[in-house]
Amino acid sequence: MKSLYDLINRDLKIAFFTSSNFLFTGSFYILVVVLIPFIFGSDSEQLRVIFKGIIWISISLSILLTLERIFYSDYEDGSLDLILQRYNSLEIIICAKFIAHWIINCLPLIVILPFLSLLFQLSFSDIFPILINLVIGSTGMVFVATFVSALTLGAKRTIFLKGIILIPLLVPFIIFGVDPHSWPILIALSMMSFVISIYASSYGLRLYGE
Amino acid sequence: MYLKLKKSYFDVLDRFTPFLVITTIISFIIGSYFALYGSPPDYIQGDSMRIMYVHVPSAWWALMSYSVLAVSCTIWFITRNPIFNLVAKSIAPIGAVFTLIALVTGSIWGKPTWGVWWVWDARLTSMLLLFFLYLAYIFLWQAISNKDLASKISAALAMIGFINVPIIKFSVDWWNTLHQPASISKFSSPSIDESMLVPLFIMAFASLCFLITMFSVRLRIEFIETRISRLRQKIYD
Repeated sequence: MKSLYDLINRDLKIAFFTSSNFLFTGSFYILVVVLIPFIFGSDSEQLRVIFKGIIWISISLSILLTLERIFYSDYEDGSLDLILQRYNSLEIIICAKFIAHWIINCLPLIVILPFLSLLFQLSFSDIFPILINLVIGSTGMVFVATFVSALTLGAKRTIFLKGIILIPLLVPFIIFGVDPHSWPILIALSMMSFVISIYASSYGLRLYGE
Repeated sequence: MYLKLKKSYFDVLDRFTPFLVITTIISFIIGSYFALYGSPPDYIQGDSMRIMYVHVPSAWWALMSYSVLAVSCTIWFITRNPIFNLVAKSIAPIGAVFTLIALVTGSIWGKPTWGVWWVWDARLTSMLLLFFLYLAYIFLWQAISNKDLASKISAALAMIGFINVPIIKFSVDWWNTLHQPASISKFSSPSIDESMLVPLFIMAFASLCFLITMFSVRLRIEFIETRISRLRQKIYD
């Protein structure tokens, strides 16, 4: 438990003191949402429908953009080797990455979403089912992103390749995420991807740890 | 990776390739005769449904090749025999091309039948996603320069993709029942007449022969490449 806490603490500190700050992630989401009226015009009835979809696009984009931050940046500066030596349980390392990455990437959107919805004249009761789905769905997406990141550690630095691998795996989350009544399926999917992700990421890390 | 890659396996392939080529050509000739002249045009769709004789087999074999890919990757995980990895690697582009053929012929057929090139139908969408699963597998092989590592990683990805295929199918079906506009009539005729079923099966057989021919050729190439890289490594050592 101590090592889990230490690893999360480390990742959060790195995120806080480098460019991957919470403020940056939050502003990214706000800017993606700001683009909507420029594209679709200012008709508020139409915007309200689009806004609910854009949330899912922005969260999958941000998951894709920060994919390399999960393991690759540690791998590149060599700290991943040290972590693998220091903490002998791979599962603890992976779980710490899940939690830290979710806090850095997905939590800002969940926090600012009620305020963003004010811009589109959506009340909190409208946004609440989306919020619940977003909490569950983004967790599952982080699980998927973690194992994709662990498996593609040795690949050349091509974010497009990782996108082609990642996005088909995210499709089920998005499909069930936009439907407000299908949160039980979303929970099932997230739990399944948690199990797969633990195995697949530890497989990937073990390959590169050698 | 230094398990046995026996040359004798591939001599068998060498010997069978001419027969496969001849069978492919003959069955394509017979099949296209029946498909174009020997079978009646459809009662409603007319001659445009004849594209089904290309479309349906390629969709079948596209799905089958993904199963072959995933199963051989799974067997590779258990036995660590590099042959299964070569099988998976050589069937991936063929499966991708078959998926593409199914998608393109499907949309060509959709234009006169539905009046549009593309409908966001459950089956079409999941085929499109299958195409990207194939692409991810192929690109991953190219992106990792260490071939030994690439084989391990792409095998893991193929297995995860195989778990994902039914999930995608299920979720896309779900999405489709929610959003499906009722006006589009789906192509669902469980009772195809025998006069159309026979050419369909001949064409399916022909495309299967084509698939196996391409597969054996590619498998030989992969085999030779592996041997070359091993020899090169021996020289360096």
